[in-house]
Order: sequence, then C-alpha cells, then structure tokens
Amino acid sequence: MTEIALNNRLRGSGLRARHLVLGIRIVAAATIAGFALTTQGFLSTLSINALLTAISFVGCVAVGMTFITLTGNIMSLALGATVSATALTFLATLSFGIVPALLVALLFGVVITGLQGFLVGYFQANPILVSIAALSLLLGAAAFATGGHRIYPAGEGLAIFKGRIAGIPVQALCFFATVIAAQFILSWTRIGRQMAMVGSNSRAATAAGIETTWTITIAYMAAGACAAISGVLLAARYGSGDMELGAGYDYTAIAAVLVGGTAIAGGSGSAVRTLVGVTVIAIIEVVLLLRGFSEQLQYLITGIIVLAVIMLHVVGERR
Amino acid sequence: MIQQVGRFLIAPAARPFTIMAGAVVVLGLIDRGNGYFFSLGTLFSVMQLFASLGLVALGLGLSMMVREFDLSVAGMFSLAGCIAVITGGTNPWLGALLGVAAGVVSGLIQGLIMTRLKLSSVGVTLGGLLTLQGLAYVLSGNQTVSYPNMSVALGLNAPFAQLFSVRSAVALAVFLLAALLMRYTYVGRDVIATGSDRRASRVAGLNTDRILIGVFAASGASSALAGVLLSYSLGAASPVGLSDVLAPAAAAAIVGGVSVVGGRGSPAGIAAGVLTLCILRSGLSAIGVPPYVHDLVTGGILLFIAVLDAPELARHITAWRLDRAERRAQTFTAKLS
Amino acid sequence: MSVLAVKGVTKRFGPNAVLKNVSLSLDAREIHAICGENGAGKSTLVKILTGLYSPDEGVVSIDDKPTAIQNPQHAQELGIALVAQELSLAPALSVLDNIWLGNRNVPLFHRRKSLRMKARAALDQVGLSDLSLDAPVSGLSIGRRQLVETARMLTREARVFFLDEPTATLSDVEIERIFDALRTLKAEGKTIVYITHRLGEVFEVCDSVSVLRNGELVGTRPTAEIDRGHLMEMMLGRSIGEMYPTWQSKPAGAALTIKNLHVPPVVRDFNLVAERGAVTCIAGQVGSGALTILRALAGLSAVATGEVTVLGKPMRLRSVAAARSADVQFISEDRAGEGIFLRLSAGQNLIAAKLREHTTWGVLARAKLRATAAKLAGAVGIDLTRLRSPADELSGGNQQKLAFGRSIGSAQPGVLLMNEPTRGVDVGARAEIYRLVRGFCDQGYCVVMASSDIEEVLGIADRVISMYRGHQVGSYRRGEVDMHRVLADITHPAAA
Repeated sequence: MTEIALNNRLRGSGLRARHLVLGIRIVAAATIAGFALTTQGFLSTLSINALLTAISFVGCVAVGMTFITLTGNIMSLALGATVSATALTFLATLSFGIVPALLVALLFGVVITGLQGFLVGYFQANPILVSIAALSLLLGAAAFATGGHRIYPAGEGLAIFKGRIAGIPVQALCFFATVIAAQFILSWTRIGRQMAMVGSNSRAATAAGIETTWTITIAYMAAGACAAISGVLLAARYGSGDMELGAGYDYTAIAAVLVGGTAIAGGSGSAVRTLVGVTVIAIIEVVLLLRGFSEQLQYLITGIIVLAVIMLHVVGERR
Repeated sequence: MIQQVGRFLIAPAARPFTIMAGAVVVLGLIDRGNGYFFSLGTLFSVMQLFASLGLVALGLGLSMMVREFDLSVAGMFSLAGCIAVITGGTNPWLGALLGVAAGVVSGLIQGLIMTRLKLSSVGVTLGGLLTLQGLAYVLSGNQTVSYPNMSVALGLNAPFAQLFSVRSAVALAVFLLAALLMRYTYVGRDVIATGSDRRASRVAGLNTDRILIGVFAASGASSALAGVLLSYSLGAASPVGLSDVLAPAAAAAIVGGVSVVGGRGSPAGIAAGVLTLCILRSGLSAIGVPPYVHDLVTGGILLFIAVLDAPELARHITAWRLDRAERRAQTFTAKLS
Repeated sequence: MSVLAVKGVTKRFGPNAVLKNVSLSLDAREIHAICGENGAGKSTLVKILTGLYSPDEGVVSIDDKPTAIQNPQHAQELGIALVAQELSLAPALSVLDNIWLGNRNVPLFHRRKSLRMKARAALDQVGLSDLSLDAPVSGLSIGRRQLVETARMLTREARVFFLDEPTATLSDVEIERIFDALRTLKAEGKTIVYITHRLGEVFEVCDSVSVLRNGELVGTRPTAEIDRGHLMEMMLGRSIGEMYPTWQSKPAGAALTIKNLHVPPVVRDFNLVAERGAVTCIAGQVGSGALTILRALAGLSAVATGEVTVLGKPMRLRSVAAARSADVQFISEDRAGEGIFLRLSAGQNLIAAKLREHTTWGVLARAKLRATAAKLAGAVGIDLTRLRSPADELSGGNQQKLAFGRSIGSAQPGVLLMNEPTRGVDVGARAEIYRLVRGFCDQGYCVVMASSDIEEVLGIADRVISMYRGHQVGSYRRGEVDMHRVLADITHPAAA
C-alpha cells in the first residue's frame, strides 16, 4: 500500500504548479531570446551559419543520446568516441566511393553501439559502466588500428558536404533530416512507443509482453547511426581525423537532451525537444562569445545554466 | 569441490583480491623471468599511480555504494589541482587545504540539491562536472599553471622504503582511515544500509539525507586531495581531459567489488581494484607493451565484470539450464515410447 | 493523561482525503487495536504518528503537549518505536546490524559486546534463539524477517510501540510468542498500538479497539464490551452482502490444468484445475506462495517447472511470450512497480499490450489505437475524459481498472490471473472491481485470483484453495467453508 500512497503524494497540486513551470519556461526563453537579439552581430549571416554548423555536429549525437535516455538507460559515455571512430572509418574507406564509405561508417556505428545495447538489454548490465568499457575499448582499438597517426581521406568526394542548398549548409540539412527521422520513429512507430514504455517502467513492459531486449538494442543502434552521421559530417568538415574529434560530445549531448526536457529517468522524450535543447545551448555559447566573454567563462556559464535548467525541469515535473 | 573453491573466489567479497592476484600471475608469466615486471621500479610506479587513481576511485566508489554515481569527481580532480597550485605558492598547506575544502563544499552543495529537490545524482553531478570543469578552465586561463615551489614537488615524490613516496603514503593512509571507519563504526553500517535499501533505512530511523550529503562531501574531498597531490608533485596544473579519470576510476571501483546498485563494497576492495588496474598499467608498460593494450585490457575487464554483476545473468543461466533439462527429459520420454 | 494523542487530524494525497478529522487518545499500560478495511487509513495514521508523514490539519500531542513529529529519528527521540507493514531491514547487513540500525543510542564503535547481548536477548524473546547474529538478512524468509524486525522494536527504549500487521507472515506458535512479548511490555507500563484486520487477534490480546472507516474514526470501544459481529459492523458500515455481487455459478469445463508445479524455494508440488466462467481463489498470506504461483503461470519466474495445460494445449513456463500466446493474461500485485506505466497516459496504458495488432509496416495506426482505448475504457468503467491524464493521477481503483482493461479485449476470452486485485483500492471502488471480475466470468474468462484478504476470497470465489508456506492445505467449493476455517488453514503449520 505504501508505494501507492507515495505515488499519490506526487500526484501534484494540479493546475497551479504546472502553470508556474510553464511561466518560468516562457520567461527563460524570452530572456535568452532577448539577450541574443540585443547582442551585436548575432543576426549576421556569419554567426547564424556558425550557429547552424555548431548545432549540427553535436546535435546529431544529442538526438542519438535521446534514444538511449528515453529507454531509461540514462546516457552513454561512448558516443563521442563512436563519432571519432566512425569518422576515421569513413575517411579510410573513401577509396571505395562516397556512398560505400558512408554505409560502412553507418554500419560500424550501428554495430558498435548495438552490441552495447544488447548487453544492457539482455543482461540488464549497468549502461554507464558498459559505455565506459566501450569507450576504453574504442580508444584502444583505434590506437591500435591507426598507430597514433591522423587519418586522411583515402578518396575524393568530401566537397559535397561543404556546400549549401538553398542557402543552408548541407551539414545543417543532414542534421534536420536526422531529427525528422528520429521524431518519426519515436512518435509514429511501434518500436518508438515501445522505447517509451520500456523507459517508463521496464518491469511493466516485460509483464505486458514487450520484447525489452530487442527494443533497447534498437534504441542503441539508432544512437550509433546518429553518431555515425555526426562522424561523417565532422570528417568532411575537417578533412582529416583522429580520436579527439568527438571527445567531449557526450557531455554536451546529454546536457542538450536534459535541457530540452527529456526526463533523465526515461519514459518521455522527443527528438524535437532535443533540437530545442541543442539550440538553446548553442545560442548561449554564441552570445557569450560575441559579447566578449573569454572562452573559459563560456564553459563555466554554460555549465551553470545547464545545471539550473535541469533542476528546473525536474522540479517542475515532480511538483 | 573445485566448483566450491571457484565460487568462493568469484564471490563479491573475495573477488577484487582474486583478480589482483590473477593480474600479477598473468603479468609475471608474460614477463617470463625477464625481470621487468617484478622490479622495484615497477612497483614504485604502481604505487605512484595508485596515489592518484585510488583516491578518485574511493570517492566514486563511495557514491556507488549508496546507489548513486558521482560524475563530478573528474571535474573536482582538475579544479582542486588548479586551486592548490594557484594559492599554494608560499604555503603549500594552505593550497592543499583550500583544494580539499573546495571538494567538500562541492559535495555538500550537490548533495543538498539532490536531497532537497529529490533529484537523481546523474543529472546533478553532470551539471556539477561541467561547472567544476568550467571553473578549472577559468581559474587556469585554459593554460598550464606552473607551481613555483619545487621542493614540495620533489619531496612528495621522493621514494622511501624504495616502494612508497609521501604521495602514495598519504593515499594509503586515507584508505586505511576509510576502511576502519566503514568496518568498525556505525557510519559504515549506515552507508551500506542506505545503499542496500534507502526506504527501509529511513523507516528504521536513519537520516538518509544526511548520509547522502556526507558521502558526496567525502567523494569531493577525496578526489580533490588526489588532484592537489598530483598537481603539487608535477609542479603544474592543467584542466585535465574528462575521460582520462572517470573510466579508470569506475573500472577500479567495480573491479573492487562495489556494486552499481548499492549496498556492497569496501575501501579494502576498492584499493585492491585500484592496485589491479595500476599493476596492469605499470606492468604492461614495463614489459614493453604499447599503451593501447592497457585501454583494451581495462575495457575488457570492465565489460566482463559489468556483465558478471548484471541482475539478469543468473536468471538467464538458470532458465537456460532448465530448458536444457526439459529438452533432455522430452527426448528421453520420446525414446521410450 | 494520555501518552500519545491526535486531535482533528486530516491528511490528503492529491484530491483524496485519506484521513478526515480523526481524534484518538492512547494511554499507558494499554494494548490498543486499530482496525479497518484496506484503504481505511490505518497505515496513514500510523505513519503520521511515527514521523513519516505530517498531517495537513490537526494536532499530535505527547503527554498532552502539542508536538510536531518531524521524522522517524525525531519520533525515536520522543519514545516511539515502529514495526512497519513493509519490512524495514537492509538486506545487505547482518541481523545484528539491522537490529541496531537507526538506533540513536548506539556508540560510534558499534559492535560492542553489550549490544550483541541485548540483541541476543531480544531475538530469544521472539523465538529466534537458533538464528545467528551475523547471518545476512538477505537469506532469511519473510516470516523470520518480520520477527527480526519485532526484535528490533524491543531493543528500542520506547514508551509507545506501533505494530502494523505484525502477524501477516507468522504461524500460530510464532504469533503466541509475539503476544507474550507484548503482554510483558504492557506490564512494564508501555503503550502498544496494534494495527490489524485479524479480528480474532484483537479480542485475544487487545484492551480496546478503534475503528477507522473511509478515513474517519467510527468509534473506540473496550474489547470486553463488544463482540466480533459488532466490530465487523463498525468496520464495514453495512452488511457484508452489499460489497459482493450475487451470481449463479456456471462453470464451463476445465480451462487451466496445473500439475506438479515447483517454484523454488517456496512452492512445491502444486496441482490445480480451474474452470472457465468461474473464479478460483488461492488464499494465503505473505510468503505462502500464492502470489508466486500466479507469477510463474504468467511466465515471470525463471525457475518454475511443471506441466501446465491451457484450453487443452500445453503451455511453456518461464516465458512471458508463451503465456501470452496461450491467452493467459496477468495482473500484477505490484501496480506501481510492474502493473502500469505511471508516466504514460491512461489511454496509452490501456492499449499497451495491443500495439502489434495496430501496426502496419512498423507504423502505428494512431486513430485505431484511440478507438480501441475508448472501447476498453468503456468495458472497465473508466471515464473517457480521463484517457489523456497521466496514469499516476488516477485513484488506486481506476489504476486497477487500467490494469484490467489492458488484459482484456482479445478475440478469445482466456485465463485472467490476478494477484491481490484490491490492494490499495478504497472501499467504494472495490465493489466495482468485484462486479467487473464476475462480469469477466460471465464472458467466459477463467479467473484465478491470489489474495490474502479472506473476506474477499469468500465473497467472490467459486472455489477456494488455501495455502500455507508453499503447500496446498485445503480445497473448498463455495458455501462449504467459513472464514474461521480458511484463516486456520493459512496460519497453521500444514499437517505432514
């Protein structure tokens, strides 16, 4: 009886709390928008482009992270390394042509991350530990495979990624396409619905007959695909790569996911929300840069804002 | 009989020491009597590594014992080093004190946020990690800050008894203190109880909020101390890459018998886990193996234990065994008829 | 002067008032019972008096002085000890550590000889002389854990002792030991508050009884002045007949046959034949194996073995998929943890198990899903306007209906397994649940139910199977047995 009673406790005081949180979110959004628009140089094409590019790379990873968080597996610390590894794979196989290289990179990302998902789903191994293990293994394997050297493109064809279509950078278009595909999976497909159910309550999902192992594995595979897309885009941008390429993306990605409003406990979330989260963080960083804050202060302020937003979201949901 | 001995060795309490012994044996075999592994020089470098990794793993391990996960240990490790180096020029004790105090304060603040707002530790310590790392960047101006007091640096690293330095001795002392506290006082019992079943502990009368805050303060202090000692001994501090510290610390804790779901683990076990990883790292490089092997081995061990500890493993094995027995029974009865 | 009292206490959870204006006074040298049905508010009142909750309105007084009890630690300082209904032992610790867990008077170096001796004495007093102090609690059965928890209560130097359903897992002999310990405490001048719905125990050991019904105090009487029937009337507020529907039994052939079911470590050699159109109840207290049996049939046990036949076809155990394809549906006793998806909406919960039928090429047919959700909601009596609300905003009764709704609606009526279907459901909704269950029977379902509420079992079942510690004790048809007999079955050691 107690668990039920405790849940009753959280049933909320109804309208008032929810309206309060919505109000705070609107005020926060308005403040950020206000700061942004009053910053000199923000609306220039240069900074908008910089914004879009920055969003695209980390954004793909954040969308992938959303799948993992949604299924109740909190986060993966290996996605950044997966980005680097798929970038290297892409560059190394370019000699076979751009499409085969793309497919190989995608396959690589899907398999590496999918295996982690299988362990997490089948054995219920701790997701953070599995991702830390995968991180170590990836770094080691990459060092072995590359011998520590930078990898340069083995073939031609990267120019496609550097152009624009209708004035929008190709990278940003790839990112938006990823968001749309991910959101479709989450909202409209059975497997997407199953992911939310597994994240909400995996025991109930099992009891309801859902194949939790398969669901979690697919979620991780989707995350791996998103990381691979980011890796390909990064490889194209920089023209060469090493394992430092995606380092640190994991933290920014999970921050974007949480800022966007996906619950860290799993069960609710969307790719569109993550898009919002990535955009908010990127806007804050660009604004700080334009206003002359030193780079170090940017990192700190972003960190504090992320912490504050996370607290706000969860407090709002709990009340 | 063999099964029984085997099961004893794999049991969570004994496992860290079994693995450590195994690592020593394996490396000794690979070394094949060349003397690179079993040398005092190697053992000294093991202890030096232990000094840094151990304290961070201790902090992270404590947070795992209460069923939480302190991601911010990596950030505190960086930040405390920077604080100590910047403020400890004339008085090294002052710098050390400030660094450790920063660790305590960060743990207190994060613990308070977690308990008052009833948030899970992953979100809060993630924010803490980013904030602390950001502070480290700000304080150091994103450059390496050098520490002028060379005598301290040398003093900390000077070997005595050929195996230890002041740095590793301090780390061992902290572990000893933690082990005594956990085993012989009710603090240790309360920490395990909180990790084992937080709701039950609260009903029994424990102030679980206070225990959690205390654990995070201890975790912050421990990783801060590690950062301070390392920076002093290197004579410089720089904001360290995040991945370098977190992965080995988690691996060390879990090899050390700490369970992610809480309620299990001990400082002695964590020490054994840390030693195992340090033995592997120093041992492998002493033998002349390229550094990536260490990453592969660490990752492999961590993966293996993550699966071994996983809740569903036992269930799947039992189910598989029963299925096999039933199939055999069916073919048997089919043969009879 | 009263030792502990409440005046005008009200407590709400969301829109529900679980306690309404309750006033009660407890004196020294008294064993005071608090009775009421499931959901009457007994546990909530106890939680307020032991510092786990605070009242929304009203005053708690100690020795006639108003005091706010802030948390369990504070309650301990004030001299209040509790044996909770859900056990509060830490599985990772030993018996000794658990006994002293949370006790304020323990010194820093806590494993002293004097504490060992006191713990030993307390264990002996509750009949656990053969239990080692260093045994890990994780290895103990539920009954022994409950006794350890009672021993812990005895080591707290308290003035008021609360016991919430302390005998739910114990045998006759063990229960008598607890009573002896309580009588000793009373002679020492302490106050004991005994919460139970076992009316026999109330008359055996308690001096007075207060009855709660629907969150209100109905009255307080000395046990010498009333009898069992009177007490039941106070608890129910009406005759027992209105709670349960009447029906004509129409069993229609065997739907579920179980042979030699073993579910280590508790259940051995269980056999059963359950019929369509009938409710078969497995009655047993916590730890009797009743819940375990149904979970094993649902495919949720990794260690169950035996032969099970559903509607003539053999069914594999240890697999949820096998159970579901045999048209066996399971409704869990742990609603929040396993039964429903609290953060999803009511509508999403209803169709949770039907996604496959509404998918083409991996894409969900959302409009069709909504229609199905509405249909299921109608079948179980959930208001259509609540379909969009998150499930955790619904009352316990509505949540249970969600769990039912999810399990019905397939083409063939099959087997419905329900564990403790009215746990955490208030009195008003329970009658509705019973009507629903009988309705399922009429539609041709075979209903198998596990429950520890004997009154409920007798009110709703066509057949009653009583269980004690993993073994079947008795099997009765409706009308052949009374409450006394079933209660005796489930608390007596089984005759060898």
